[in-house]
Amino acid sequence: MIIAVSIASFTISSCHSKTANEKLVYWSSNNTEEIQFGKEVIQEWNKNHPDNEIVFQPVPEGQSSEEVILAAVVGKTTPSIYGNMWQGDVEQYARAGKLIALDTLPGFNEFIYSRCDSSVVKEVTSIDGHIYQLPWKINPIMMIYNVDIFHEIGYDKPPRTYSEFLRAAEKIKKVDKNGYSVRWIGYVEVLVTWWQRFFDFYPFYLAASNGGHLIEKGNVAFNNKYAIETFAFLKTLFDNKYLPRERLSARQDAFLSSAIATRFTGPWEISHADKFKPEGFHYDFAPLPVPDDFIGEPYTYGDTKNIVIFNTCPNVTTAWNFLKTMLSEKNDYKFLRITSQLPRRKDLISNALFLKYFEEHPKMLPFAKQSKYVKGPDISEILKEVFDMISQQFEACVVYGKITPEQAVNEAAKATQLLLLK
Amino acid sequence: MKKTKLTPYLMILPYVIFFITFISFPVIFSFILMFHKWNIIAPMQFIGLSNFYHLFHDSLFFKSLLNTLIFLIVHIPLQIIIALFFAVMLNQKIRFIGFFRAAYFLPVIVSGVVVTILWQQLYGFESGMLNRFLSAFGIAKVGWLEDSNLAMMSIAIMATWKNVGLYIILFLAGLQTVPNYLYEAADLEGATSWQKFRYITLPMINPTVFMVVILSTIGGFSLFIEPYVMTGGGPLNSTLSAVLYIYKQGFFFYHMGYASTLGFFFAGIILVVIVIQKKFVERDA
Repeated sequence: MIIAVSIASFTISSCHSKTANEKLVYWSSNNTEEIQFGKEVIQEWNKNHPDNEIVFQPVPEGQSSEEVILAAVVGKTTPSIYGNMWQGDVEQYARAGKLIALDTLPGFNEFIYSRCDSSVVKEVTSIDGHIYQLPWKINPIMMIYNVDIFHEIGYDKPPRTYSEFLRAAEKIKKVDKNGYSVRWIGYVEVLVTWWQRFFDFYPFYLAASNGGHLIEKGNVAFNNKYAIETFAFLKTLFDNKYLPRERLSARQDAFLSSAIATRFTGPWEISHADKFKPEGFHYDFAPLPVPDDFIGEPYTYGDTKNIVIFNTCPNVTTAWNFLKTMLSEKNDYKFLRITSQLPRRKDLISNALFLKYFEEHPKMLPFAKQSKYVKGPDISEILKEVFDMISQQFEACVVYGKITPEQAVNEAAKATQLLLLK
Repeated sequence: MKKTKLTPYLMILPYVIFFITFISFPVIFSFILMFHKWNIIAPMQFIGLSNFYHLFHDSLFFKSLLNTLIFLIVHIPLQIIIALFFAVMLNQKIRFIGFFRAAYFLPVIVSGVVVTILWQQLYGFESGMLNRFLSAFGIAKVGWLEDSNLAMMSIAIMATWKNVGLYIILFLAGLQTVPNYLYEAADLEGATSWQKFRYITLPMINPTVFMVVILSTIGGFSLFIEPYVMTGGGPLNSTLSAVLYIYKQGFFFYHMGYASTLGFFFAGIILVVIVIQKKFVERDA
């Protein structure tokens, strides 16, 4: 009913036709930093292009930006450009013909290949072979760890492999005189909500499998030893009570109060930790633990947010020219500086301009190094359902130990394959 | 003459607009959606009765119905007994009666999300106050929200705590309509307190009992915030209520046609239950 009413109101407000003279509208994410960035960039653009001015607007308030975009799509009131599209959502909009194929625009291929590795270009290429999204920003999921707790148990470096992590977990586990656990190595949200797996199963699976797929060419790709290893590792952590089953989200920050020694999180944690950490608290970031026989640099989930141009855009050429400006080296640097989010570009740790920033903000450096090894979600229309299937099995296997990792992966894969065949 | 006829329509116009926009349009639209596949983004696709076929083969939906039933079985009797008990107590001449009446009503006006977060702290396995209290008496820790056999009951207890104040007020209003001469006559006949309660109070407040049963049934069927915030439907889908499941289908996966089908089916079940309750609970006073 909520959707129906929103659609009605959006439809009513959209009862006017778009013309080529109409100004382009850019919607950004509605966090303060991105609003500041968007305003500054558009102000400069409008100053230099008085004939092609762009209107800036943060995405309107709603329960989620996703729902606002959905309602706008139905009401045909989408912005010309949207700068906060989750990579996993793009395929649905592309299939429905709501997005402009960016690879048909002049100079797009040169631009994207100069900015991103070919693996990234492949990652954002749609099933129909076109590219509908411009990779923009990432927030890689890494392990934040309490340096002091690891020193206390004799670790100079954070654990790198599953075995090291499990050994550390045993040493970190603490029980009070009444038999209550008061300290754990980490925390994983036990809720089955599909996107919670972005912070446990999925990044660990990507790390173990060298950036493997969940869905590839329309088929299930996660029924493999890496998924089983990931399930088994996380299950061991719960079985041995190294992770609490109790939800800790409604109490004082468990990491900053040293109730947990690690957390799997993104760079947004830095400003939070610096603001609320107690005196003498030391933390750092490290890549996620990997299987013992793993060689190389582990991948992780990048929480990729990209830019799209909607088919309601009155002047695609101007939109494209604007995007080239907004994603210039200078503006990427400005974006990094204002928002502390990483632009998804291949020269992030080789370009002197960005290196200067990381020297000034050393806590961001591990994320910048990790940025070479991040993956966004696979291209699929049913991605949320896939994560839901995995999440259901995750709960049954990892959290409550009702089934084995092999059964969990098989069940999730079977259910996903059925969905893909529909 | 013409003006006189127009005025009543103008007077009801605000509600008519509200009714058309927020009630009849969504209901009609949802009815149409039942026969379509629609993910909001792509155009609607007519699929006939496929959503119904899917519904009758969806074991998770039936599990969510069963969970809702478990919730109702615990919640409704518990709510009625506690509310009636406190209403009878608060109907006596006791000191600070105004304070007690306000105190019992307080949880009703507090946001459901706030109450849920507070109870999450109480129910915590390792750090929750309830388990700490129990262990002081040597009783083992209870997985209030971690044990799939207990989680729905824990939610029912919390929901009872939150809503009982409203039903206390309703019962109080009912109790105050019982004429005093009936009790005086019973006293003359030598009736005990229990006999007075059983044969005078209960029959006299039957309309209130009926209303409380209906309201708490409808409230119970709409169980959503508590599992949504507290457990997300877990552990192992044991607190997945029907409304939460419908919400997930609609707003997580954008299966709008299927969610509408589930919604109508569920509304039908509520209607049947209410009719049955009306038959058995409502009696002439």
